[in-house]
Amino acid sequence: MNALNLACMALFVPVIVAGLMWLVPPLRTRGRIGAYLSVLAALASTCSALVLFGMQRAAPNTVILDAQTHWLTREGRSMADVGFYLDGVSTSMLVVVCVVALLVQIFSLGYMADEPPAAFGRYFTYHSLFLFSMAGLVVAPNLLQLFMCWELVGLASYLLIGFYFKKPSAARAAVKAFWITKFADMGLLLGIIILYTQTGSFDWGPEAIATLTASGMATTVGLLLFLAIMGKSAQFPLHLWLPDAMEGPTPVSALLHAATMVAAGVYLGVRAMPVFAASEDTLFVMAHIGGFTALFAACVAVVQTDIKKVLAYSTCSQLGYMVAALGTGEIVGGYFHLTTHAYFKALLFLAAGSIIHGVHSNQLQHMGGLFSKMKITAITFIIGALALAGFPGTAGFFSKDLILEQLLHAELYFPYACGMIAAFLTAFYMGRVVFLAFFGTPSAAAEEAHESDLAMTIPLLVLAVLSLGIGYFGTSLAGLYGAEYHFHLSPTGLAASALGLLGIVMSWLAFGRSPGLNLSAFEPIGNLIRYGATDRVFKAAYERILLGASAILAWIDRYIIDGLMNWSAYITVIGGRELRGSQTGRIMDYVYFLVFGLLVLSASGWIGR
Amino acid sequence: MIPTLQSYLLLGSGIFCLGLFAALSRRNAVGLLVGIELMANGVNLNLVAFSRFTGLVDYQVFALFSIALTVAEVVVGLAIVILIFRHHRSIDTDLVSEFEG
Repeated sequence: MNALNLACMALFVPVIVAGLMWLVPPLRTRGRIGAYLSVLAALASTCSALVLFGMQRAAPNTVILDAQTHWLTREGRSMADVGFYLDGVSTSMLVVVCVVALLVQIFSLGYMADEPPAAFGRYFTYHSLFLFSMAGLVVAPNLLQLFMCWELVGLASYLLIGFYFKKPSAARAAVKAFWITKFADMGLLLGIIILYTQTGSFDWGPEAIATLTASGMATTVGLLLFLAIMGKSAQFPLHLWLPDAMEGPTPVSALLHAATMVAAGVYLGVRAMPVFAASEDTLFVMAHIGGFTALFAACVAVVQTDIKKVLAYSTCSQLGYMVAALGTGEIVGGYFHLTTHAYFKALLFLAAGSIIHGVHSNQLQHMGGLFSKMKITAITFIIGALALAGFPGTAGFFSKDLILEQLLHAELYFPYACGMIAAFLTAFYMGRVVFLAFFGTPSAAAEEAHESDLAMTIPLLVLAVLSLGIGYFGTSLAGLYGAEYHFHLSPTGLAASALGLLGIVMSWLAFGRSPGLNLSAFEPIGNLIRYGATDRVFKAAYERILLGASAILAWIDRYIIDGLMNWSAYITVIGGRELRGSQTGRIMDYVYFLVFGLLVLSASGWIGR
Repeated sequence: MIPTLQSYLLLGSGIFCLGLFAALSRRNAVGLLVGIELMANGVNLNLVAFSRFTGLVDYQVFALFSIALTVAEVVVGLAIVILIFRHHRSIDTDLVSEFEG
């Protein structure tokens, strides 16, 4: 099979399955059949993605497939092309997306087994739709196709967050995610429109960017596109939707809100790097917002009591690292971290899902002592946590150190400092989760817990192997798109690892030992963070500023605009009431008026003569 | 004595004023119509007098139009009067005040 057929298979098999399940209700409502179809589609996509990856390995740093078809043809000229563009970046991203999607779908077979069949089928329909959209985004040859698929993944995210739509909080979270990302997507749309008006194409290639820079719009377009990245990749202050998105089923959080969909923003940054690199200001903004998000979200993660919320803020924080790394103008650090993070964060979420499946609660205080009850889950979770904390030798160690080194090299000291502190905090909060959930005295719910079935543990094991191993392939992965990366021990890397180890030790002192470290001195800070992190600050701002302005406008509307209307209506009514007496209905009176009018006319004619 | 234009105009305006008086004072609907008819004929007399004293036929054409219009108006007016009579058993105009505001 050639590359085009494989790419078509990776992209279209899931959407055909999704369409079938949508059009043929029994497939969906019977549950299992549709689910197996969907998993098979994901398997087909994964296989073709892996074969494509093999082709890419054989020819690194080349475009293995560039097949585009004209779309919106007008006056013999195509306004836009759609199709496939597979090079080192998109092929490896396609593999990440397909592999994680496949593993998450297999995990869901076990995790969602208690759902009613119709809901089960619906869940897998959305998953197939998501896989198509995300694969379409990854292989997009230009910004227009990327935008379409960008919106489609947003739709899939909305549907899956609101999967338990009978739960008001889930429905609200879905709408909230939709609105915030939609707000950010305005930036993407405007950026694309400006790009098109300036260059006449939707390309992000160097020629188009040269034209854009010449027109002086590079910074505008770059910042607008960055707004979209902030929304999709949950950068401060548009991160608000991501913690709420945890209302969705846990495998959804693993796939969409940790590994792939939220990484789409970073992926856009990687793909459209020429646009961003054309303007120093855009890069500066990216690095600083990313760095701040990394630190801020890590602080918030420390004080969360819900295991999924910890992981959600951790995702924010790690995405912050990636965005900050893109702010150096080089793609290799951010992209490498995207790849490693996808595996270990998916692992963490799925393991958390396995725990939640066991104890039927998200709250950390309902867990404890689970290590002996759920050995595979515990070990894989700890592997994921170590990878996230950047423990030497794991995947996160390599990619995080690369980012920090890049930031230092680019002399971006603020993001660098944020990244360093966040490295410590990351280890600390992950240690906290591990010690609270797996060690210590079990709660009543945790006593009942038992290991999940094979459909759930096998994906965990696969992801654990990937989380441990993927870091060693950094050089060859970077080589696929022509970037240079060689691991070497540097002071930065050593410092970050030391900070990580310190974080783990601190968390053991605080939460692992039986008389834990007394943390009551930090309680006010914790409360402050908790207060600042929740939506309350934003809600207050929303109520004060937006609702205040709305109240003023409402007053003007009610009393001035409506007042004018009511006043004119009132005048008309009063005038009518006063004048109705003149209409006597008697014929003679009308004749009198007629004659009177005649006299007035004659008199005025006489005077004006 | 040869009649002058003035005497015709005086006669015409006299007839017009008589008709106006009739129209204003009569409470009988038929009387009202007769008054209106008199007013119209006063005007017609003026037109014919102008034609006679200027030698132009334009005024006569106008007079013919006016007569035709008056006839049509009387047809409609009398029809209304008959309907009012059927409804009220009377043609006193003061009784007809359904359109009072």
